[in-house]
Amino acid sequence: MSTYNYVVTAHKPTNVTHSCVGNFTSPQELNLIIAKCTRIEIHLLTAQGLQPMLDVPIYGRIATLELFRPHGETQDLLFIATERYKFCVLQWDPEAGEVITRAMGDVSDRIGRPTDNGQIGIIDPDCRLIGLHLYDGLFKVIPFDNKGQLKEAFNIRLEELQVLDIKFLYGCPKPTIVVLYQDNKDARHVKTYEVALKDKDFIEGPWSQNNLDNGADLLIPVPPPLCGVLIIGEETIVYCSASAFKAIPIRPAITRSYGRVDADGSRYLLGDHNGLLHLLVITHEKEKVTGLKIELLGETSIASTISYLDNAFVYVGSSYGDSQLIKLNLQPDAKGSYVEALERYVNLGPIVDFCVVDLERQGQGQVVTCSGAFKDGSLRIVRNGIGINEQASVELQGIKGMWSLRSATDDPFDTFLVVSFISETRILAMNIEDELEETEIEGFSSQVQTLFCHDAVYDQLVQVTSSSVRLVSSTSRELRNEWKAPPGYSVNVATANSTQVLLAAGGGHLVYLEIGDGILNEVKHAQLEYDVSCLDINPIGGNSSYSSLAAVGMWTDISVRIFSLPDLNLVTKEHLGGEIIPRSVLLCTFEGISYLLCALGDGHLLNFLLNLTTGQLTDRKKVSLGTQPITLRTFSSKSTTHVFAASDRPTVIYSSNKKLLYSNVNLKEVSHMCPFNSAAFPDSLAIAKEGELTIGTIDDIQKLHIRSIPLGEHARRICHQEQSRTFALCSVKYNQSSAEDTEMHIIRLLDDQTFEFISSYSLDQFEYGCSILSCSFSDDNNVYYCVGTAYVMPEENEPSKGRILVFLVEDGKLQLVAEKETKGAVYSLNAFNGKLLAAINQKIQLYKWMLRDDGTRELQSECGHHGHILALYVQTRGDFIVVGDLMKSISLLIYKHEEGAIEERARDYNANWMTAVEILDDDIYLGAENNFNLFTVRKNSEGATDEERSRLEVVGEYHLGEFVNRFRHGSLVMRMPDSDVGQIPTCIFGTVNGVIGVVASLPQDQYSFLDKLQSNLRKVIKGVGGLSHEQWRSYSSEKKTADAKNFLDGDLIESFLDLSRSKMEEVSKAMTVPVEELMKRVEELTRLH
Amino acid sequence: MGSNLGDLPSYDPHNFSQLRPSDPSNPSKMTPITYHPTHDRTLPPPDQVISSEEKNILLRHFYMRAEEKLKSKRAASDKLSPEQVRKHPRASISKGHL
Repeated sequence: MSTYNYVVTAHKPTNVTHSCVGNFTSPQELNLIIAKCTRIEIHLLTAQGLQPMLDVPIYGRIATLELFRPHGETQDLLFIATERYKFCVLQWDPEAGEVITRAMGDVSDRIGRPTDNGQIGIIDPDCRLIGLHLYDGLFKVIPFDNKGQLKEAFNIRLEELQVLDIKFLYGCPKPTIVVLYQDNKDARHVKTYEVALKDKDFIEGPWSQNNLDNGADLLIPVPPPLCGVLIIGEETIVYCSASAFKAIPIRPAITRSYGRVDADGSRYLLGDHNGLLHLLVITHEKEKVTGLKIELLGETSIASTISYLDNAFVYVGSSYGDSQLIKLNLQPDAKGSYVEALERYVNLGPIVDFCVVDLERQGQGQVVTCSGAFKDGSLRIVRNGIGINEQASVELQGIKGMWSLRSATDDPFDTFLVVSFISETRILAMNIEDELEETEIEGFSSQVQTLFCHDAVYDQLVQVTSSSVRLVSSTSRELRNEWKAPPGYSVNVATANSTQVLLAAGGGHLVYLEIGDGILNEVKHAQLEYDVSCLDINPIGGNSSYSSLAAVGMWTDISVRIFSLPDLNLVTKEHLGGEIIPRSVLLCTFEGISYLLCALGDGHLLNFLLNLTTGQLTDRKKVSLGTQPITLRTFSSKSTTHVFAASDRPTVIYSSNKKLLYSNVNLKEVSHMCPFNSAAFPDSLAIAKEGELTIGTIDDIQKLHIRSIPLGEHARRICHQEQSRTFALCSVKYNQSSAEDTEMHIIRLLDDQTFEFISSYSLDQFEYGCSILSCSFSDDNNVYYCVGTAYVMPEENEPSKGRILVFLVEDGKLQLVAEKETKGAVYSLNAFNGKLLAAINQKIQLYKWMLRDDGTRELQSECGHHGHILALYVQTRGDFIVVGDLMKSISLLIYKHEEGAIEERARDYNANWMTAVEILDDDIYLGAENNFNLFTVRKNSEGATDEERSRLEVVGEYHLGEFVNRFRHGSLVMRMPDSDVGQIPTCIFGTVNGVIGVVASLPQDQYSFLDKLQSNLRKVIKGVGGLSHEQWRSYSSEKKTADAKNFLDGDLIESFLDLSRSKMEEVSKAMTVPVEELMKRVEELTRLH
Repeated sequence: MGSNLGDLPSYDPHNFSQLRPSDPSNPSKMTPITYHPTHDRTLPPPDQVISSEEKNILLRHFYMRAEEKLKSKRAASDKLSPEQVRKHPRASISKGHL
């Protein structure tokens, strides 16, 4: 049963809602602070550009973000208010490098109607008070005392009920607000009020202005010396103050955001709903406003926030497309634009729909999202793990090892690829035509297996076999020297670098050689008590060709030891515990930190911090990478060294922010890997897998890879068809060139490899595509695309007409084969028992696919079920139908074959406004609703009475803080059937903020364990701004607030891995579970996404 | 047409001076460290945990007016005998009842 769920973010929110610029981290430093709904990001302005400093999770949805500076402070403070009526004032402590809380509180009122137009939070420019408009008819004041401390908040009655914007005016002796509002005749006006802090009341302000532009929606207060306010309408912009009134007409536009350019407030950047950026200039003489001027600068992403940074650079934050860093040029470019886009910051939001597909047929899901809106609409292909882009491959069975060699010590590229088999060694090399062909290195013995190869100093190569070490000239390819194992000894494992060779023979013999010009010197021999299983002398100290430490893995006592070189003295011995022998050891450095990695025969990997001077091993950590023995190798990509762990679950180990991270490689099984950086294939890897040798380049080393396919239109529904290898979209194209904005609804067919439009079908005027499905019907082998539509007529409240269109893909074209008119909008389509199940307004309707006499097909209504407000989301399983209603939560229907009828079986009687539903298993259904909550309901088959059985019982509740648009079964990661994590069913969700998340259904014992871990972590990881995690995750709607139940916050749990060792130990102590065990269990969870 | 983009403000002329424009098809990939505070200063000083005045706006208005009246009376009767001043606490008693 999927009662116990673990919710975790695979892709964080990217929708930028707010931004501001100020001196937050130090009085001298200029910061850009951006809000992405539930997170803030602090950036530093530097010569190189924007430098990200910190990503700060906030336990709330950010409603207001403002920087301000109370009197006497040298740097700015950050005011944040959340949608659930919490606020905090944050300060940066530069010494500790921490965000500290100056003040916080709750500004909710027990009664009050939340504002329709969103919450407003503003700070008086003279820092006398913070003003909040949270409920209709009320203005909340949090006063500052003269020391900059906040005092008790109070409400003032605000007469205006439909408030559109409120701002503080500059340069007023008493704090003064200007209110833009709409009256009950829908006319818009502005009014000013002085806030009398002592009397806790408003006093009529110095001026007001009636009958503004009907689209006036935004106020921009103008700083001294000009003061006053700009009122931005859809057709006019007005400057207003006690003494002046200036207006200019503008081309009709909805201004979404503004950014002040000059400190004196004479220029502003305005961003409109089409992504056009304008410059508004207030002309003035002797501190008197003489007029307004507006100028089109160019196009950006549709901006939700604009922040002027410095030296003509501007940050454009977007909710509908990628955010940007732009530069304003003095001279226009060839297209007449003054705007130059220099950086792009990915935003997946709003994810309106997505599908999970396995395009590369590797058994790994990829998410293809409908992202962005309007002209910034796009498809995004989101894939977990690191891909290998195959350049060449040959069939080769039984590879036992691979090494690349250079033809000269100072050659920047590799020439040879040594491939070892059980009883021979073959050499491949790049020929003049840049093809890989077999060659020979005469000095190597080719009739035996090679244990190790390496480039050596003085243009030499080293080959280690079971009987000898051969030193060969890389230019003449002839043998220069050979060290022979004494008779009766057989070398089992060996390693080398350019000046040293370390090998181990049976019976615990360890032999150390040094490489000279044409000579191999046996420097030291040591006798260990057990056999050696693996070795490494990768030079990670100061000298890049000589290691003073050797790592040795042992049989029998299952230990890893560090020896000093050249004297082979034992420095450290670490018992690994358990019965699994180490199979591969590696000394390596990531971001200046030295590690010893040790891979075991069962797919586990241990890592230790290594002290290079003392050889001590500390901070042992264990993760599970796969189930088979692992071979570790370093490689370089983009001049950074990473480690490749070859196994049944190939993994790249890399470091980010001084933490080791593990990213899946999107290959099924890799037995060996070696870097092969040839002139023809620079920065490539040679990979041995499943009887094949592949040369390929590697993706950027990061966990999630996102590819963007800009569409220039807004894709709203997506569906994949395996058979035709296509995607189909319901898309809207906006036409902005004509006088009036028009839109066209189109069904698009895309190739699933190139993502190019290959066919389109235009819908009728007023006809919207609402749903899309790829399905087949009984007695018909074709696979069709079915599209559900609605005629959205301006005069109708709800569509009363729609269509179901059935398309066949023939020769890459969409061919309409059938259509059926419906009595409303077709919100959802599902394949159901070889038939088509449609949700049409209040009704669920089942259609049969009938053969007509003339051989054509048609949809014929079979049965239906009434009784919904609007049946928006439908999922099916067997004969069961789960419906998510506009406002009546979830209901469960059943299709009765004999009667040919659909009946209601049970429902959840709560009044939830649904945004998505999914069936987790036979009995548990998952829902998302419009207060950003998730909940699960259970079918109560064992209920004693009919009444009990007819109720869906709410079993889980959780505040996600995200608006979910879609759930889909599937996984972003390749599932390992034999790992623990591979058994956990998962479901992916996509949200308005661009979050991709995973809901994983856990077994009860694991849930209980993690629940305990979560409550212990709450005590250690504090909420920024003093906000409580428990409150944040509590289910919250207008009607009730209840503690989260049967859901766990994976983001909090996985942040355990970011804790310092001492904090981990604190948690471990409270849990009475060893740190290593906790890390392993949490690390495993991170592999769910 | 000359643009009005001249003399854009500069806080530190070095900012962005060495920016290397990235390939626009390749989005910026720099990811900041995620902050997980474990210190105790995520809680503000006790007097800076702000709550809202519980008093209803209307009642607050009444009291204020009442107080004002008293004040103006008191101001006028400052020189009067102390007995009359004793009336003052009554207001606060009745406040408690409301």
